[in-house]
Amino acid sequence: MRALGILGILLFAIGAAALGMRQTAAAPQRPGDAAAGGRLYAASCASCHGAEGGGGELGPSLQGVGAAALDFQLRTGRMPYAQGPGQQALRKPPAFDPQQIADLVAYLAGGVAAGGPEIPAVDVKDDLLSRGQKLFVANCAPCHGATGSGGAVGGGALAPSLDRSQPVVVAEAMVIGPGQMPVFRLADEDRNAVVTYVDYLRTAATPGGFSIGSIGPVPEGLVGWLVGMGLMTLIAFLIGRDWGTGE
Amino acid sequence: MTGSRAVVLSLVASSLASLGLVALYVIGGNPQAEGILLGLALGGLGAAFVIWSITLLDAPVEVEERHPLRSDGAKPSTAEAREAGDVTRRTFLTRLLLGAGGLLAAALAIPVLSLGPQPGRSLFRTAWSAGARLAGPDGAPIRPDDLVLDSVRTVFPQDRVGTADAATLLIRVRPEDLRLPAERAAWAPGGVIGYSKICTHAGCPVGLYRAQDHALLCPCHQSTFDVLEGARPTSGPAARPLPQLPITVDEEGYLVAMSDFPEPIGPSFWDVTHDA
Repeated sequence: MRALGILGILLFAIGAAALGMRQTAAAPQRPGDAAAGGRLYAASCASCHGAEGGGGELGPSLQGVGAAALDFQLRTGRMPYAQGPGQQALRKPPAFDPQQIADLVAYLAGGVAAGGPEIPAVDVKDDLLSRGQKLFVANCAPCHGATGSGGAVGGGALAPSLDRSQPVVVAEAMVIGPGQMPVFRLADEDRNAVVTYVDYLRTAATPGGFSIGSIGPVPEGLVGWLVGMGLMTLIAFLIGRDWGTGE
Repeated sequence: MTGSRAVVLSLVASSLASLGLVALYVIGGNPQAEGILLGLALGGLGAAFVIWSITLLDAPVEVEERHPLRSDGAKPSTAEAREAGDVTRRTFLTRLLLGAGGLLAAALAIPVLSLGPQPGRSLFRTAWSAGARLAGPDGAPIRPDDLVLDSVRTVFPQDRVGTADAATLLIRVRPEDLRLPAERAAWAPGGVIGYSKICTHAGCPVGLYRAQDHALLCPCHQSTFDVLEGARPTSGPAARPLPQLPITVDEEGYLVAMSDFPEPIGPSFWDVTHDA
């Protein structure tokens, strides 16, 4: 009885967390404070990107990169950069809170970084799901995989998993083409369709049981070999065992 | 049922299944039914072998108690009699076995008739033709400015959208970065360059583009092609560059093909360079 209660609480918590994920995904942008952003920039970014954002030995110029690129890099924690020189920036917990990110974006996009793509408006609409699937398969799946689980794209580069990518981050990545990723400037409706489908991939139920990371035949084969072959070996062993029937 | 009768039945069943397999194949085929018939044909042979070996070959020696027999000299001994009868039966069964095996072989050989027709010129051409507009999967024609720098799109001839061998990857790079052979200098207006999307190694869709090092990667065997240098293979098993589609802009400003691909697309084959 007690175990059932704990199970119920656990299930409720998982469900609530899943709902919460979808809600935070659509959190509105806060207006940024450029002055506060300027102070943050000087403290945290200028050492690599230069006092004026013109770039330096360690960091590229931010000239005209646009608000979408700034927001993408900060929101996914890729900036501040923490990898070795020349290595791909990887997603990590963001160093700044949403307000600080908005401040930094306001400061830079209103100055040196002006001119690039704006942060695209996103609209997750379930009726776009089918269209999004077609677009995702045609444009995104080659690198990010059919389930958005990511993969290697050669040359030491990695297409990241999309399992934690908020809708706005997906839209920004399509518009700016960060790092090795090409640019996918689709019509607004098509972009929303892709965003909807990625959001679906993140939150979809797995009625077949454990998805084992959704990375396809390797883990499934591993389970097949270990569990399936293990069972068969066990059965073979039991069949061959001397059961003491007196022969 | 005696052993020899069971062997006969098994071999006859196998033969009938083989005949059925041939007949079914000729009238059009059905994979499930063909599988069942093939199973019967092989299973009949197998059953015949097993029954044959158990009942007719090398029977265990059994000593039966019996009263002494008086030989009158005229009757053949039991051993001779058994041998005489056995020869007839063995001959019959052997012929039946050869018949069943031959029919099965015939049933398995019949699909050779399905080979062909010869591909002829079809390996050397695709759906692209001079003046064909480049269009996305939705059929809408494309202007060079629809592609921003570092963007990628899969295109087809506008009137043949979805034709597999015509799939072309359109990439926009900086025109000054391109290092194309001189005769192809005009094939990439504004840095919009198109390559066949079908890998020259094993025919997989080459859909992974690394925008920073301008490399196309095939997901199947990691063949890598340098987009700036005419899709020269830089790594992996592919030996030929991806064929480049000659592209220009028509008077209405849309991207059009100047001709079909100048060489066969997809995996290499015998005579790939002999365009007769």
